[in-house]
Amino acid sequence: MAEFECRLKKYRQMKDLTQEQLAEKVGVRRETIMRLEKAQYNPSLKLALDISRAVEVPIEEIFVFR
Amino acid sequence: MRLNNRVLSIFHGLRIAASISLKMEIHLSVSFSAKAINPKLGCFGVLGFLGFAGFWTYSVDGTVFPFAFFLFFGFFGFYYEGKMSGTFMDERFRENIARAKLKAYKITFGVMLLALIILCQGKLFGNLEYTLIASIITLSLALALGIFLSEYLLYRYDHDDQAEESEE
Repeated sequence: MAEFECRLKKYRQMKDLTQEQLAEKVGVRRETIMRLEKAQYNPSLKLALDISRAVEVPIEEIFVFR
Repeated sequence: MRLNNRVLSIFHGLRIAASISLKMEIHLSVSFSAKAINPKLGCFGVLGFLGFAGFWTYSVDGTVFPFAFFLFFGFFGFYYEGKMSGTFMDERFRENIARAKLKAYKITFGVMLLALIILCQGKLFGNLEYTLIASIITLSLALALGIFLSEYLLYRYDHDDQAEESEE
């Protein structure tokens, strides 16, 4: 799996969203959001785009690949 | 005549199993949540012990088909499939399904390959019939392992690090 840093938690909390709420918005389970925030799961392009739109932050700001 | 009936019954059983498997594949591709299955169906796995009846039937009249019942050990996988009943199948879950199946089938093929290498050396215990029996047992157990592992590994992958869940 490609190494990357995930800043989703910071932007999610800025939008006052819980993991559950964000998961519902983008159509995944809360466990998936949890793994994403820990950078333990590499999302698909579609999911990354959906998350980017949900938290209104560019993809490259959320997922930083080393 | 009796042999023909047994062959026909095994054929029908395989046909039914194949149609169930095909329906499951179609379900996976169009459904949004995992099938609702009662974990207690895992108890059907004890039917696998019927395979040991093959030793008795073989000693009585040389019948070997009961050894195929070892395949039913794979039904223990229903327990883990039941524990994931109704789970929303998001992309991560579908990836875990593929990953679990790949690993399970790799292990199954590995076991079957090893068995092939050992059994094709020649007569087991100096008897070709024993080699046939060992082949049937190994094939049945390997397939059961594949069926069981694909569900067990999916459960493990999906519930990994459950203790570290963060509540937001």
